[in-house]
Amino acid sequence: MTSPFLRLAAVTKRYGGHGGIEDVSLEISAGESVVVVGPSGSGKTTLLRLVAGLERPDAGEIWLDGRRVAEPGRNTVPATDRKVGFVFQDLALWPHLSAFANVEFAAHSAGHSGTDRTSRINEILRLCRVEPLLADRYPHQLSGGEQQRVALARALVGSPQLLLLDEPFSSLDRDLRVKLRAELASLRRQLQLTAIYVTHDSEDAETLADRTITMRSARVDA
Amino acid sequence: MWGWRSSRTVVTLTAAVVFVVVCMLPLLFMLWAAFAEPGNAVSALQGLLLDRRQAGLLYNTVLLGCGTAVLATLVGAPLGFGLARFALPFKSGLRLALVAPAVLPPYVIALALIYLGGNLAATLGGAIVALTIVLYPLAMLATEVAVRQIEPRLEEAAILVATPGRVLKRITWPLVAPGVVSTALVIFVLAISEFSVPGLLRVRVFTTEVFTAFAALYDFGRATMLALPLLIVSVVLASIAASHMRSRVVATRRNVRGEPLAVFDDWRPAVLTLISCAIVAMLVVPVTALVREALRSVSIVGVVRNSREAVINSLFLAFWGATVVTMLAACLGYARARAPVRVGGALDALWLVLFTVPSTVIGIGLIGMWNRANAFSAYGTSAMLVLGYLARFVPIGALALAATVRSVPESQEEAAALAGAGWLRTMRRIVLPQIRIGLLAVWVISFMLAFGEVGTSILVAPPGESTLPIRVYTLTANAPPGQVAALALFQSVVILFPLALLGVTMATRETS
Repeated sequence: MTSPFLRLAAVTKRYGGHGGIEDVSLEISAGESVVVVGPSGSGKTTLLRLVAGLERPDAGEIWLDGRRVAEPGRNTVPATDRKVGFVFQDLALWPHLSAFANVEFAAHSAGHSGTDRTSRINEILRLCRVEPLLADRYPHQLSGGEQQRVALARALVGSPQLLLLDEPFSSLDRDLRVKLRAELASLRRQLQLTAIYVTHDSEDAETLADRTITMRSARVDA
Repeated sequence: MWGWRSSRTVVTLTAAVVFVVVCMLPLLFMLWAAFAEPGNAVSALQGLLLDRRQAGLLYNTVLLGCGTAVLATLVGAPLGFGLARFALPFKSGLRLALVAPAVLPPYVIALALIYLGGNLAATLGGAIVALTIVLYPLAMLATEVAVRQIEPRLEEAAILVATPGRVLKRITWPLVAPGVVSTALVIFVLAISEFSVPGLLRVRVFTTEVFTAFAALYDFGRATMLALPLLIVSVVLASIAASHMRSRVVATRRNVRGEPLAVFDDWRPAVLTLISCAIVAMLVVPVTALVREALRSVSIVGVVRNSREAVINSLFLAFWGATVVTMLAACLGYARARAPVRVGGALDALWLVLFTVPSTVIGIGLIGMWNRANAFSAYGTSAMLVLGYLARFVPIGALALAATVRSVPESQEEAAALAGAGWLRTMRRIVLPQIRIGLLAVWVISFMLAFGEVGTSILVAPPGESTLPIRVYTLTANAPPGQVAALALFQSVVILFPLALLGVTMATRETS
């Protein structure tokens, strides 16, 4: 039996007595697509932030691709070195950088250089269906769907091993949501990515999930 | 919601009229006096500006402004970043200790530098260092506000793919730069507007020349002409800064969860070291120098007792000055908070500009306006000092209280109106209780500023009536250093005590 790509062992994270997650254990295989559903405040986003390295667990361990990346009170592997792509709920596009520069910042940091970097960015923008004429626009000049695609391109340009998406479609209207969901599912299969989606929407779960996990009151439902 | 006939109209209109009379008319009057006879004004200005002596004055003034703006920003910006982005022990206390030099009268810092450095302090470089100590907290607070306004997700998204250094350079800095640069402009204007530090350190700049022209040469026309370039530069640069800052002037939006965690965590020890060094260098060292020098005096209590009249005068005037400043600023701040966006932005800019007008220029304007023989003239009375405090500190008080009132949703007033409450009752029961800490803060800061005010006071104080700052300033010329240090130390204690009380109040409120 192969070891899991991502393993959380009895992980707890508390925020001053409320929120967070409590004693969560979880295993995800390489290439698997897991959707995490649950009501607001159940700890879904905290789970993603812990895996990304944006928070430190109070208790428990996190293992990623055979490396222990976090232990109680400490991230043993910093967020920068985890090879994780993250699409935030509010997208977090940098407002002072154009769409191209948003993706370029991540590509540069991933070690791509010169013409290699430019071709990689163009490839990923094409893959995420960002029109070339949009590349020079700033985030506030893009529509919601276009911003979503740029955020996805930025998350993917560094060739992450794991893609984390925090309610990626929550701000979009229904038609666009259905379209982007299908595109994302196809893209993930094409790139053979391991992915965790956090969502409220059962349709998201049906379309995107190999497996669905439900969280309630900071714990994973058995 | 509130009709034209409501008490709101009466109160805000009255406040507006008082504001125009007290804060704006003296400056407008000065301009009118200067240009009443255009031919004379132009030739006098040409004479002043083309004079070689004036070129040196201009050079010194610009160097003082640039040096202070650059140094204060270099010191203040990293500290502001540290306060905004790191979980630090006793953060409120650290922030207050870092802000403290800004509320000490600038000449107290200059005196401390003289005690520390002797003749070395009495140079342009010494003046730049003294003003940096006084003004770096502005750069610090502006940077802290700007960094707090950045959505933490933006830095978190970057830290997933970049080192903290690169995140700071490419993401954080570009987002805070406009605010930091605008504040540097304001610091430049405040530095060239300052009178007491260059006066004490014998550095010739425009503000000291204005004072000399009026107080030593009794040449009101020359003082007015010298004040003009200063006024124009202040107004132009402060307007540019204000237009760049817009609503960011004092408003802050705190991130609900506190500081983002992992982004810059590795730098925490360095930040703590930097903050500690800054507190020692900017507060502990100057105050220690004052204490050491004061202890050479025969008796600190005796020295203070000898200046009892000036002390009581100062406390009395600062108390009433701060009270009237806060009342007027509250009315104006409320009007600004509920004004349309464009009007509000224009008022913010106007207040920022007025706050940067040099104290000696305000003094000249007040004298020009009130020095006339009629029944309403305040000239020659203590009221001139209170008018000076109002002209100097109402703009900054209104700016701060406008931001505080904006935190109370207008819908709360609408709900009160629908419940049948009048405007005054709504203010008393709904709005004022929610902004009481802001009112207290403005009162305390106005009191501290008024208690240390010297640039305007020294020009408008009636004969035979002295405040503590005037006494300290004049004693530096002919009294033993120990006596001067003892008075300056007493003044610092009086100023720092309410600041500490304010800190405790705010910390208690944060905890609860």
